[in-house]
Amino acid sequence: MFIEAKGVGFSYSPEDERVLNGIDINIEKGSYTAILGHNGCGKSTLAKLLCGILLPTEGKVYVDGLDTLDEENSFEIRKKCGMVFQNPDNQLVASVVEEDVAFAPENLGLPREEIRRRVDKALETVGMTDYAKHATYKLSGGQKQRIAIAGILAMSPECIIFDEATAMLDPTGRKDLVSAMKRLNREIGITVVTITHYMNEAVEADRIIVMNQGSIIADGTPEEIFSEVEKLHSVSLAVPQVTELLYQLEKDGYKTKRGVLHAMDAADEMMKLIGGGRK
Amino acid sequence: MLKDVTFGQYYPGNSLLHKTDPRIKMIILIEYLVIVLAATTEIAALVSLSFTLFLITVSGIRFSVLIKSVKPLIFVLVFTAVINLFFTKADTRPLVDFYFITIYKEGIKTAVMMLLRLVSLVLGTSVLISFTTSPLELTDAIESLLSPLKAIKVPVHEFAMMMSIALRFIPTLIEETNKIISAQKARCADFESGNILKRVKSLIPILIPLFVSSI
Amino acid sequence: MTALELKNISVIYGENTPFRKAALNNINVSFEKGSITGIIGHTGSGKSTLASLTNGLLKPTEGEILLYGENIWDKPKEMVKVRSRVGLVFQYPEYQLFDETVESDIAFGPKNIGLSEEEIKERVRLASEFCGLTQKELRRSPFELSGGQKRRAAIAGVIAMMPEVLVLDEPAAGLDPKGKEEILSGLVEYKNAYGATLLIISHSMEDIARYADNILVMKQGEVYMQGNVEEIFMQAEKLFDANLDVPQITKLFIELKKRNLCRSNDVYTVGYAKKEIEKLIKDSENA
Repeated sequence: MFIEAKGVGFSYSPEDERVLNGIDINIEKGSYTAILGHNGCGKSTLAKLLCGILLPTEGKVYVDGLDTLDEENSFEIRKKCGMVFQNPDNQLVASVVEEDVAFAPENLGLPREEIRRRVDKALETVGMTDYAKHATYKLSGGQKQRIAIAGILAMSPECIIFDEATAMLDPTGRKDLVSAMKRLNREIGITVVTITHYMNEAVEADRIIVMNQGSIIADGTPEEIFSEVEKLHSVSLAVPQVTELLYQLEKDGYKTKRGVLHAMDAADEMMKLIGGGRK
Repeated sequence: MLKDVTFGQYYPGNSLLHKTDPRIKMIILIEYLVIVLAATTEIAALVSLSFTLFLITVSGIRFSVLIKSVKPLIFVLVFTAVINLFFTKADTRPLVDFYFITIYKEGIKTAVMMLLRLVSLVLGTSVLISFTTSPLELTDAIESLLSPLKAIKVPVHEFAMMMSIALRFIPTLIEETNKIISAQKARCADFESGNILKRVKSLIPILIPLFVSSI
Repeated sequence: MTALELKNISVIYGENTPFRKAALNNINVSFEKGSITGIIGHTGSGKSTLASLTNGLLKPTEGEILLYGENIWDKPKEMVKVRSRVGLVFQYPEYQLFDETVESDIAFGPKNIGLSEEEIKERVRLASEFCGLTQKELRRSPFELSGGQKRRAAIAGVIAMMPEVLVLDEPAAGLDPKGKEEILSGLVEYKNAYGATLLIISHSMEDIARYADNILVMKQGEVYMQGNVEEIFMQAEKLFDANLDVPQITKLFIELKKRNLCRSNDVYTVGYAKKEIEKLIKDSENA
């Protein structure tokens, strides 16, 4: 267990309504989790609570056993768990790519050679080695986000939380970022938590948690989650087109499999139906 | 629009200037500024001009970039030249005496010198500092040069960090400003006509969003 | 009737220098009154440049831009008039909000065109209806709104000018499915009510398939494909070649066609797909 949330509740001030209510989550070390929900359901707030940027007003959050409410732990927690935000511009602090990646290690006061080593490794991991000396403001959105990731990697984190990190990117940028997330998780073993409302990103994760109005309403594998089409519709979420199609056919009395997410698998289902598979 | 502003932008390279210790460059800059501003005779002006050219050559910065950095100053340059041209008085016979327009030989000389000085100042500073020194090097240099002040508890490190962050945001802010101007123009906002008061008022739809977005 | 036409349009930067770059190269496109055209293409394909040309924000290096047959650059000093007839909404337009209340912010456009007090009030009312803004939201400061509400307020600010042509650059970017549906259907309602012509730049094939009549595909500053929605999605291969996507449903039918289960893949919405599949099932049972 890497991140544990127990009975977590949160409101921005005592007079405000609770944004989060009675949240219990365990994020396993090395896992790849997506938190899905419509805008305003509290998922971004939850992300910030999970890595200690915000403190719970009720309950507790533990990062690798460290209580986020204990101020003494904040430095350690910051090193263990990094966060990538939505706006690529707001995360870059330097004019030159490698200087931005070096920002955190510099602030930690590490020796020059160590910083150099970390910066090079981080850039290599995100595939931006060729851009080391480029001007940051000239990069595309997707590239900027990758540099933001590199900046966090330079601190050797164990977990990275992505707060709608692809929302402002074009499809190519989004694809690049999702591959980067997969690589970080599968090749390096970093625990990845991604907050999103794009279901085609969520399907890449091993586990999906669905939120609505401050509570968790579903938790399972992508197949399990996308089987419950009505539930997702009721919380203003969409499902992949083919999933929707099979669901509509099922309503009309045809026997179809649930939780089909990709066109190829859907084609297999169609073959069964058209080959004479009526219920 | 604020396109192509190259102020504060670093251009990576391998020239001699790029490799020089930034602190030395800063000290050279101060000396350079003094020389350029103090040059009153033609010979002194020529010397400072050739030094400027030397700096430019040694930096390896592209010509187009240099032109771009001087462009925003066109107005100031022309204005200064004109003032000096028409308003410098001397004891000698004027070269042109046409109604109320009087131009002296000294006027031409002063105008040209002013022009050269201004251009040298801008190019020299840009070439010595902004173009050939990465913001990190710059702030390290400033931090280093100011470090004696740490003894009297001046927060030198934080100051240097603030400077480098501010520098890096200049191009982003400029881009943001352009976007906001375009958006308001698309709503038929007029920034060009009207008296001073009206024009200042018309800047509110640009300044407020800019301010809000930078918070 | 053609509402907007771009004839032999080129936008070239750095002419006569070694850095010459053509953002747009000899484009010829036209948009019928009352139609909705989806514009797709990668970053750098020229779609944003095209958008900036439509309301005179950007001047073409060559070519003409005709609004109902008249060249918009004939009277450059009167470009403000053009801008009230061709509304342009940029990406993430919420960044343009500035006034004390949403109501006064939306009124900015109409005020600039010099309408009377009553007309402005009416415009604000209509615009906020199309964009789904409540009376309560109108009275608040734009900075207190949520992201989705801000987006709607910004779009309302442009609709309030009642433009005959409305160009939007990714109006639903970053919104969740519900927010997206509300904005896009609001735009369609506006178009239906006033016969406006819509140009929507989008990356979502599924959205374009659902709302657009025509599609314009841009690639590296040139027109790559143009036509109605069926025609374009029939040529899925060509889209794949340009590294563009098609709706997932279309991919399904392309696969079915490959497996000889159906004849064509001009299906791009779930509703139509369902009908087709049910037809195919019945056919196979009767066979």
